[in-house]
Amino acid sequence: MPMVLLECDKDIPERSKHIYLKVEGEDQRDFLPISNAATIPGTLSERGCAFCGAKLVIGGVLKDTIQMIHGPIGCAYDTWHTKRYPTDNGHFNMKYVWSTDMKESHIVFGGEKRLEKSINEAFDEMPDIKRMFVYTTCPTALIGDDIKAVAKKVMQERPDVDIFCCECPGFAGVSQSKGHHVLNINWINEKVGTVEPEITSEYTMNFIGDFNIQGDTQLLDQYWKRLGIQVVAHFTGNGTYDDLRAMHKAQLNVVNCARSSGYIANELKKQYGIPRLDIDSWGFSYMAEGIRKICSFFGIEERGEKLIAEEYAKWKPQLDWYKERLQGTKMAIWTGGPRLWHWTKSVEDDLGVQVVAMSSKFGHQEDVEKVIARGGAGTYYIDDGNELEFFEIIDLVKPEVIFTGPRVGELVKKLHIPYVNGHGYHNGPYMGFEGFVNLARDMYNAKANPLLKLAATDIRGGNKAALKEAAE
Amino acid sequence: MGCEITTRERAGVINPMYDCQPAGAQYAGIGLKDSIPLVHGGQGCSMFVRLLFAQHFKENFDVASTSLHEDSAVFGGHMRIQEGILTLVRRYPQLRIIPVITTCSTEVIGDDVEGNIKYALDQIAKEFPGREVNVFAVHTPSFKSSQVGGYSECVLSTWKAIAKEKAPATGKLNIFPGWVNPGDVVLLKHYLKEFGVQGDIFMDTEDFDSPMLPDKSIHTHGRTTVEDIKASTGALASLSLARYEAASTVDFLKNTHGVPGHQIAAPYGIANTDAMLQKISEITGKPIPDSLVHERGVAIDALQDLAHMFFANKKVAIFGHPDLVIGLADFCTEVELEPTLLLLGDDNTRYKKDPRLLAMKEKVPYDMEVVCNADLWELEKRVKDGSKKYDLILGHSKGRYVAIDANIPMARVGFPTFDRAGLYRHPTMGYRGAMLLGEQIANAMFTHMEYTRDREWLLNTW
Amino acid sequence: MSEQQVKELFDYCQVRYLWQFFSRSWDREENIEGIVNAANDMFHGRVIKKHTPMERLFYADAKEMVKDFRENFPWIEQLEPTKITEILDGLKSMLREYTITKSLNHELNHSLY
Repeated sequence: MPMVLLECDKDIPERSKHIYLKVEGEDQRDFLPISNAATIPGTLSERGCAFCGAKLVIGGVLKDTIQMIHGPIGCAYDTWHTKRYPTDNGHFNMKYVWSTDMKESHIVFGGEKRLEKSINEAFDEMPDIKRMFVYTTCPTALIGDDIKAVAKKVMQERPDVDIFCCECPGFAGVSQSKGHHVLNINWINEKVGTVEPEITSEYTMNFIGDFNIQGDTQLLDQYWKRLGIQVVAHFTGNGTYDDLRAMHKAQLNVVNCARSSGYIANELKKQYGIPRLDIDSWGFSYMAEGIRKICSFFGIEERGEKLIAEEYAKWKPQLDWYKERLQGTKMAIWTGGPRLWHWTKSVEDDLGVQVVAMSSKFGHQEDVEKVIARGGAGTYYIDDGNELEFFEIIDLVKPEVIFTGPRVGELVKKLHIPYVNGHGYHNGPYMGFEGFVNLARDMYNAKANPLLKLAATDIRGGNKAALKEAAE
Repeated sequence: MGCEITTRERAGVINPMYDCQPAGAQYAGIGLKDSIPLVHGGQGCSMFVRLLFAQHFKENFDVASTSLHEDSAVFGGHMRIQEGILTLVRRYPQLRIIPVITTCSTEVIGDDVEGNIKYALDQIAKEFPGREVNVFAVHTPSFKSSQVGGYSECVLSTWKAIAKEKAPATGKLNIFPGWVNPGDVVLLKHYLKEFGVQGDIFMDTEDFDSPMLPDKSIHTHGRTTVEDIKASTGALASLSLARYEAASTVDFLKNTHGVPGHQIAAPYGIANTDAMLQKISEITGKPIPDSLVHERGVAIDALQDLAHMFFANKKVAIFGHPDLVIGLADFCTEVELEPTLLLLGDDNTRYKKDPRLLAMKEKVPYDMEVVCNADLWELEKRVKDGSKKYDLILGHSKGRYVAIDANIPMARVGFPTFDRAGLYRHPTMGYRGAMLLGEQIANAMFTHMEYTRDREWLLNTW
Repeated sequence: MSEQQVKELFDYCQVRYLWQFFSRSWDREENIEGIVNAANDMFHGRVIKKHTPMERLFYADAKEMVKDFRENFPWIEQLEPTKITEILDGLKSMLREYTITKSLNHELNHSLY
């Protein structure tokens, strides 16, 4: 019975198609959980919407671009101050959010005029900024506002600006994933190839699917600089709008997050013949392997080996210090999707940690295939897990640390399980060699937290015992 | 000299001050015990609001979604309402209240929420005979009002749905504080206790600050029960402490059940708190207890050390919920701070006629500006272009970068305050709230003096 | 060919390499064919073609795989060249079976990305 019907799901038995317990000798030909399917209403799922998949995850990372959200105020308010993706220009992307602040009259009579005015105002208020993403939201999609026509009009009137339209209302698809898709595909079809980059190295690549969480991109950039590789575009960590228009000029696409950004790599291969190389940027052996592959592609293997040797010399002793102390730790990963397969084996190989349960919010079956291939037997694989399922799984596998978002982190705190922010990190970056030491340190500090022991102590029981002892 | 009340002129918003209506409704909904609000809309409409609550309180709150997908947008989402309600009722046996909160998308689609709730209730009656689950619609299209109105709307809808009958007289007071922190709820309860007056705080959010316990039990939820709501119709009187968040429900109790209602100024600052206590005394016939006179004295004593030495002539910009902003302006004037910019963040046209603002307009002895329907860009622009100088910013965490970039001391107050630890635990209301806020402001200024080497030696001997 | 040996290599690949799990069946087919063939050439000591970008990509992936196989499965060096080809062919068909023909992934054959 490898597909599991949890006790809490007895009234929604279809959930058993989403929860898999791997058994020795089984593989993905036998069982592959359903994923990227509609959520059952009222289950307290962890999923967000397509709009946030586009704006919050990908577009909003760009450091030189206004993010104009055409809709009521909430879509803007809610996708602001929820991410940790700094930039090297003072975090313009995290400081601001823009909304057309749709009101009832615009719903009734159409919001295109409102959008046009808001776009012009935004450019006027921030005269140094010349690039913009415009997003539809649920109500503006439902009333059928033509945001592309508005953008075109503004671009005609303001020749120095460029605007990209992303039409992915929150109800599109079943999760954030739809927003990733819409943004990827529209970007390559509309914007890639419209800017020619300045080429400064004979080795050029795009780095795709890394969003500079706590400086991931900037850390990895030091490696590429040392290797003499020019990154034409970062999709989209610490990236700029125009860099992304020049993606067609790179020789290689290196993909980290295949879920959010695999589409554009596929299209770049199909439309421009640029090969796609998938790597894992988390973990020592993975990172080294990725660097080796990139260097082999360019024929600069010696440079790669030198860098890996230097990094190992610097960071491996620290990693090993943590490995010694984390060996055998039971970990759960409840994040978006790809981090499940990026991390399950790397924490095992590099830190001796055992991943006992994993839940993906928006992974597709491709992600589930990867994670089941990489993960161990006796581990639970959950698609679109919900709150009651989490409680039950915790009882079943007793994780000692959970990598998840802050809200779920607050929930499991009450169960005396420490959490580490699996999305925005605790104290990152987590990518690269130095980054994985950071991850190990945060996991160790979480597990070693003395408060957990204090929380578990019932002082009434303790007092009684102490009194009894004193009496004897 | 004088006070000018203006409105944002731009169509678009840069850095909003408030979230949308459904967010406010969700905040009210989690204040109920054995309640899981069900948001009828896209998943983001509840997901991010839950995250926002988690950021502010460092706690998890349960809010469900009907997970509106494309087919529902085309064909209507009614089945998802029924399915959502039934799934919740089946999987959460203790559940007694489900506010069904609409959003922009489902209001545009025009789903028959009431009809679907009725169908679901029939189904519940069949499946769970004898089980009472209060399921009701809260209409909060995001393109109207803001989180402020959404909060008010959800409280009102809850009362309309549950407080249907006139209860026997309880002799208790209903206190509707509006959107406040657990620290404020604890303070109000303390006041009632000192008075020897029985009363209920609606919503009772005291447990939004909840413990880690040895038995691992989870107590993070509202405390306002179905019984409390039903009994509120038999109360001695209702007090609304927030004109824009609580008045509508107090009016409902008055008009439908004859419970005398009193709208008073939100008790921020000494005088507003005095007025509240005098009102409670007047309604209940009980004298203001000595202990509160003592607390009042302690607060004034503490503020006295700060006002004319550190606060006097300092220009303050304030933003946040309307009742809070207006209340804080009163507080500022009590301690010689000069509130020269007030920002109110939605298109409610009643703000301009608010008697408290009109009174300020009459008496303010320096230039003061009130911007309605404001965003935080209104603040940032004024700070950046140098046309106005501010010595202090009072507001929530969404404005943090204005203060950081311009290097202006900022005291976090209101909702959300995720970039400071534990603020939700402390009252802002009452004497104690005034004292704590005054001290928080002073300490923010002191730290700023030290980091900018601006007469930091002044504190060498203070 | 030893089925056991194929299975050992296959299990290693499954845990390790992302190229077998690309988005669509034709991408997976292209990778399996290109990379395992390049690996076979390496085991035979042939000069690897690196003219086109895709050839360089296969080379990069294959090189790591060959190194990993040599490190983890020392028996592979002892085999006759024809035997290696046989085993790698077995590996290819096993990869194909698991990730393409018998994969339960519903999205594998969508015509669009």
